[in-house]
This record gives sequence, C-alpha cells and structure tokens, in this order.
Amino acid sequence: MKTLKYFLFSFLFVSGAAFAQNEIKPERKPGHTNQNKFKQLYDEFATPNMFRTGSGAPGPAYYQQQADYKMDIEIDDVNARLYGDETITYTNNSPDVLTYLWVQLDQNMRSRDSKSPLINGSGIGPATTPSRAASTYLKERFDGGFNIEHVKDVNGKDLPHMINRTMMRIELPEPMNTGDQFSFQIKWWYNINDHVKDGGRSGYEYFAENDNRIYVMAQFYPRMAVYNDVEGWQNSQFWGRDEFALPFGNFDVNITVPADHLLDGTGYLTNREEVYTKEMMKRYNEAKKSYDKPVIIVTEEEARKTEKSKSTKKKTWKLSAQMVRDFGFATSRKFIWDMMAVKIGDRDVMAVSMYSKEGNPLWEQWSTKAVASTLKSYSRMTFDYPYHKAISVHAPMGMEYPMICYNFGRPDENGNYSDRTKFGMISVIIHEVGHNFFPMIVNSDERQWTWMDEGLNTFVQYVAEQDFGEWYPAALSEGMEAYPSRRGPAKNIVRYMGGNQDFIAPIMTKGLNTYQFGSNAYSKPATGLNILRETVMGRDLFDYSFREYANRWMFKHPTPEDFFRTMEDASAVDLDWFWRGWFYTTDYTDIGIKEVKKFAVTNNPNAEGTQLANRYNIDPNTLVYFVGEGDEGYDEALNNGLALEEMPTVKEYIMDNFTPEQQKEMKKSPKYFYQVTFDKPGGLVMPLIVEYEYDDGTKEKVTYPAQIWRLNDKEVSRAIASDKAIVSITVDPDLETADVDTTNNSWPREVEESDFDKFKNKVKN
Amino acid sequence: MRSVTYLFLLLLSAVFISSSTMHDYYVGVTVIEYAEEQQSLQIINQIYIDDFEKALRERYNDTITLAEDDEPEIVDTYMSKYLAKMLKVKVNGKEVNFKFIGKEYIDDITYSYLEIENISNIKTIEVTNKALFDVISEQQNIVRLKMLGKNRSFLLVRDNDYCMLNFN
Repeated sequence: MKTLKYFLFSFLFVSGAAFAQNEIKPERKPGHTNQNKFKQLYDEFATPNMFRTGSGAPGPAYYQQQADYKMDIEIDDVNARLYGDETITYTNNSPDVLTYLWVQLDQNMRSRDSKSPLINGSGIGPATTPSRAASTYLKERFDGGFNIEHVKDVNGKDLPHMINRTMMRIELPEPMNTGDQFSFQIKWWYNINDHVKDGGRSGYEYFAENDNRIYVMAQFYPRMAVYNDVEGWQNSQFWGRDEFALPFGNFDVNITVPADHLLDGTGYLTNREEVYTKEMMKRYNEAKKSYDKPVIIVTEEEARKTEKSKSTKKKTWKLSAQMVRDFGFATSRKFIWDMMAVKIGDRDVMAVSMYSKEGNPLWEQWSTKAVASTLKSYSRMTFDYPYHKAISVHAPMGMEYPMICYNFGRPDENGNYSDRTKFGMISVIIHEVGHNFFPMIVNSDERQWTWMDEGLNTFVQYVAEQDFGEWYPAALSEGMEAYPSRRGPAKNIVRYMGGNQDFIAPIMTKGLNTYQFGSNAYSKPATGLNILRETVMGRDLFDYSFREYANRWMFKHPTPEDFFRTMEDASAVDLDWFWRGWFYTTDYTDIGIKEVKKFAVTNNPNAEGTQLANRYNIDPNTLVYFVGEGDEGYDEALNNGLALEEMPTVKEYIMDNFTPEQQKEMKKSPKYFYQVTFDKPGGLVMPLIVEYEYDDGTKEKVTYPAQIWRLNDKEVSRAIASDKAIVSITVDPDLETADVDTTNNSWPREVEESDFDKFKNKVKN
Repeated sequence: MRSVTYLFLLLLSAVFISSSTMHDYYVGVTVIEYAEEQQSLQIINQIYIDDFEKALRERYNDTITLAEDDEPEIVDTYMSKYLAKMLKVKVNGKEVNFKFIGKEYIDDITYSYLEIENISNIKTIEVTNKALFDVISEQQNIVRLKMLGKNRSFLLVRDNDYCMLNFN
C-alpha cells in the first residue's frame, strides 16, 4: 500500500500534462523516421577509419603530404611586378600511387579570362555615377594572372602540364609510390594588383605622396594543393572568397627588393647582419630583452626620410621557415619597425609590427602589444605558440599568413582616430595573429569549411580580447569595464539567427555558398562555442576538450568531425544534439513560459481526486490531494497554502517511517505548489534556464539540461514545490541561449513596450 | 569589357569579406511596422555605423565621425536628410514623409527611428530603399513589413530597390 500511495502521489503530481496529450485520436498518423533532436549524428558523420578515429584523433594510418619550397623572388617596384623561380619537392606519404600533381595558381582569379566575375548576378540600375559607369563599362580589366614561363624537372626537361583556371595539373614522369619524392621547377611572373582598388588578399597599396607602395604579398607563388584521405586532391577552384587548403613544408626564400626597402615575412631572417644597419642590429638586440614594451628598430623620423628618395640598388633578404603551410612577406621603404619579446612557455617569441607613418600614432601604441597579448591568450587556450615571431603589418585589409598578418586601422590625416578605429584595429590584429593557431597550425581546409578556422578563431579572439582589456586597461576608453567585443556573447547573434530564413545557410555549408558570410562563418560558430563553454559544458570541461583538439591536430589536417568528436571524447558530454542544431540547421532558440498553474495541498478530495482513488481502490481518506487554483474544491483559504507535513495523512506517514533524527534532516515542508509549462516555439534544443523569484525577494536559478526536451520537443512541465510563494518566473534571465524572442520569457507576462515606443519615450523625456 | 561590372562587384566583395573582423557583410535592415493604436508607421532602420559614416562623409561633410562622445548635432540633420532621400514610402500610391525621431548606436549599428503619422486604411504600401547603394555596390537592404496581419521580408539590391505589399 505504501508504495502504491507513493506511486499515486507522483502520478497525480507529475503526469497531469501527459493526459491531455495522450488522447486517442480516431485516425492513425503515418509512421516516421527518427526525427529526434537527440539522434546521434551517425548519418551526418563520416565513418571512423584508420586515418581518423571515432574519438576524433588522427588514426594509426593518418598521413599527410609534404611540400618543400626553394624560391628566388624579385619585386620590380617600377612596374609593380613579381618575378619568381621555385623548386618544389613533393613527398608522397599517402598509401596511394600518384600519377599527377595539382598546383594552385590563385592569381589566375585575376587573369583577364577569369570566370570569377561571371558567378555573381548583376543588373542595370536607372542611374549611376560617372566614375562607376566608367569603371564598369569602359575600364579594361586588370590582368593579374600568373604568366607561367616553364614547368621543368630538376634536369631542365619540360614537364607536361595543363592549366584549368586556378589549378594546374602536372604529369609525373613516373608514378609516385608511398615515400617517393619528386622535385620540379616553375618560373613565372605576374602584375601585382592594387589591393585597395582591385581588392584581394595580397597586393600593394599606392601612396601618391612620394610615389610609394607598401607591398603585402601572399599567394604569389604556385602552391601545392592538398592531397588527403578525405578529398583526394583538394582541387576545388579559387573563386576569390573561400580561402585555402595547403600542405605543410619547409621554405627557403630569397627575396630581392629595392635596397632602401625594409622586408619581413614568414621564417627566420638568415642574413640579418647583411640587411640590417649596425644601428638596427643594436636596437634589435635590445628588443630581444624588452618584455614590457616595444623597442623601435626603425623610427618614424627615419622612415619619413627614407620614403622621400628611391634607391636604384637592390638587396636580397633571405628567409627560412620550417613546418609552415604558406609563406607571406611585406616590403616597402615606408616602414617603421618595432618589436618586443614575449615569454611563451620557456621560450622567447618576438612580437613585431611594421607600419607606415599613416598608421601612427595608433600603431606605435598598440600593435605590438596586441600581438604579444594574443600569443599569450591563444597559447593558454591551445598550445604554446611554436614559431619564433609574429608580425602585424599595417595595410587596409585583414589577412593572415604564418608568422605574418596584414591589418587595418588608420587615423585620419591629423592623427585623430575614433574608438571604433582603435578597437577595430586591436581586434583585427588579435584576430589575424590568432589565425596562426587556426588554420596555420591546426591546418583545417578553409576552402571547404570556412567556420573551422574563422569560427574557432573568432571564438578564441573573444577570449583574447577580454584578456587584452584586462591586461591593458589603458587601452579601454573612459567608463568601459571590459573590452568591447562584438562577437561571442549569445545575445549578439540573435539578430542574425532570428532573421529571414531565406538568407541564412547552415554553418555546415561550403564558404562560397553561404549568405551573410560574416555571421554564418565567424559569429555563429564562435557564439556556439561560447555557449558551450559558458552554459552547456562549463569552462573546465570545454577548455580541456578544446585544448585537446588543438593539440591532437597541431600541424595536421582536421575535418569537422574530428572537432565534434574530440569535444565529446574529452569531456564525456554528448553534444550531438548541439552540433546537429547549431551547425547543421538554421534553427533558432525560442523558449518560453506557456502556463503557470498554482496548486494547494489538501486532505479533502474533489471529484477528480475521489475518482482517481476509487479507480485504484484506495480509501480516499488515506491520500493527500493537490487542487489547482480555479478547479473544483479550491477556495481562497488555500491561497496562502498549507504545509505538506501538516496534512494528517502525510504526518502520520512520516511518524511511522522516519526516526526523529531522520525527520530533522528532512527538507523544509513546502506550502506552495506550481505546475509550470514551458514551450519551445524555436527548433533549437537548449538547456532550460529558469529563474524563480519568491515573495521574500530571493531568487533561485535552475538549469534543466537540454535533454529535458528529448521526449517532447514542443513543451514540458515542471512541478515546483516551495515554502515561499513564487512571484515571477523568467526563462534565460542572463540571455545565454540566443533566444530570438524574449517576449514569452516571463511570468507574469511582462507587456514589453515595442523598441520603437521605448526609444520614442526616451527621446521625449 | 562586359565582365567589368561583375568584376567590380566581385572585387569589392573580395576586399570586404577577406579574413578579417570587418562587420558581417553589407546588409541594412529596415523594419516598418504599423501601430494601429497610434495610427502611425513606425520605422526602425539599421545601418552599420562605418557604412553610414562613409555615406554621410562622401555626401555632406568629410570631417564628421559618428558615435563619438562629442558627436556634433548636425549629424542628426545629415542622417535625416540622407534617409529622406534614400528611403521612400508610399501608402495607397501616395508618397508619405517621415519624421526623424532620433537614432542610437548599439554595438556597431546605427538604429534610426522614423515615424509616419496619420496613417489609416492601408491598401498598399510601397517601399524604395536605396540607402548606401550610392557608396557600397554590394549593399543589400532587407525590408520587413509587419502590418495588418502580414509579415513579409524583401531583399533589395541596387538594381532592384523596390518592394510592395498589397492588402486588397
């Protein structure tokens, strides 16, 4: 009997809502497949294998190819041309036999016959400006494609090759078996683009004053494509937007530029003493010992002097880099140069900035410090930065390469700058330096999956920005308590996720084919990770797993599944529901409170209670009853509630079954009972975070795990018993879940003034 | 020769969406809602601050900076003037003018509040939104019309800058 009483008790209390839904309908619904939001991702994920395991780690047969480069590069500053000659040594570590190689010719996206311009729709408007009309209809297209002079083997014999737009296939004289190496030479030149006018992730900026250029160079050489176990050859064309997939290798690069240029790039500068002046060497040696502030290697005054004349002599800078996936360099006679040392683990890394006078006074203040701060934050979140330097170069773009990146942020002619310019600059530096970790070292395939580097990087950027604000409070403006990060907090993604579904694509979409690129590939994945870290997993579990992913895939090529699997494998948190909703769909969060019903406990059964007791053949006088406000048998006397333990039946039960000691340890007897029904108009599953406020002013926050939605995706009820009356209930009080509609988040329902009326009233007052 | 149009679009997009922390694409959002009680069309127009600044600088005054502590009052006048030129609303075939209530900056976005009073008996509403089409070739403007039980979004681009909703 006792058990039955208890059973009944819970039955009455918990299952009320289930009754209504279990009504038998006369017509049978058709069957369906497993549509549960918690279904494991077996259908979406690739099957684990010897290359990539089910844990998300590289498998025992994991391999990656290697491409080593020796290059001689010369920049003709008069004609803005780049001449190059390279020897690529390719190593086949795959178990496969290769009969041809694919080389990427990214600059062909700028050739006259490029198809890139043809994939965007366009039309004709009723009116336009003369300058736009001229540039649209009269100007000849800039010809910036590669001119390949020859492709030869090491003996000087021509190799048959075929160019398909931005990809070149080279026929191998002999098939390459596992472990084979093959070397070949390519000679080329191309016209360097003005990246300010013509766009691009490489090129020069032209300064009419003194007729000068700042070159920020990348994709300037034919580069090996990736061959791997998931794609075979990653020879997806470069249309201009989605970035790159590159194998690791070693680079020895000699770059010849006008003798009055200053140059830096990927790798160790191996002839520093030849290219530096004595004074620069002296300052450089000071910089190596300066951990708190940058040391100027070349001053603004010196740079102003240099840019007024032009040397006709040449100078060759020699750079050597190991285990990098790409190579970039910057060169100009306009550069100011500063550096400082930063301790990463037990090693010293140099944080470096190169900028022209146009970047000051902003750049000399913050660039190098932002670089150093980024290296520290990212090293904490992933692994110790393995390279020996990181350079931030001033150029109106934001683009990353190993050890070097190009960043915007320029004061006006008078040296004034707004907060937006300042924080824009610091943020872009943190972001681009951060790209050293994703994708330069954790080398994901950017061409397929923009989010894997941009999303992860934007997430760590948020952490690094907050660190920067903490470590350099002088950088913050008056009244700011923290660094003003744009991306990361859940509430900032609401506008995008709650927007028009016609212009939203799932994150798991190839970069080229997404709408609202920035929100899709940067903000949304970064926000998702932040939600996992702060709300779903907690910092300890998240950070451990994220670090595990970074370390597993450091200097390797991960896929999306490798990330998803590692995060679960290392944390024991099943996140398939989160990946499915947040990454594979465009669903959004909308959780609300549908109904709150108050109950009181009584010993007097109403008709429904009596009926239930009779059905189970129990003496109605032995039970306790819950009667809902407004239901039969509820009267005002019950408004203030009766204590559960004062119910004679309950009291008797307690005295019969518990010792006085045990009774002392019992919970405080509840008087108020509520059945709260939460509904979920949004498709996304999220933890149900609820704040209950009581009549004594106290608040209690309860987080029901996301799994609360597993059996009913639309609504769920909870019974709340308390010794205090509840005065209000709020769902997601701290805006942690990116809930796109908060008008249904509170009980009693707060009538929210429209945004428009709110603003209008504010203006009026 | 013909490909230059496309090139121009593409190149611009290449600059702006390179791997940077630049803002999320070039999309403006204009929500127009009919407040039946007040009998007014309430418009909230969202434009990225840098884009708005660029447009106002090119057109009116290249020394202004938006969202600064000491922002000059003339900025509101410029904004009002600019939006009046770029955003046209017709109700039942007749052009109606809005009042610039004010603006606020939230994160990197300018929210402008515009109101058209004394509106009743809406049969059709037409909106032309050319905001920023003069300075950013790949600008897109989403116009959302929420009124009389309808809630429709339109994506306007430079070559298709008009939308209409019929209530008959």
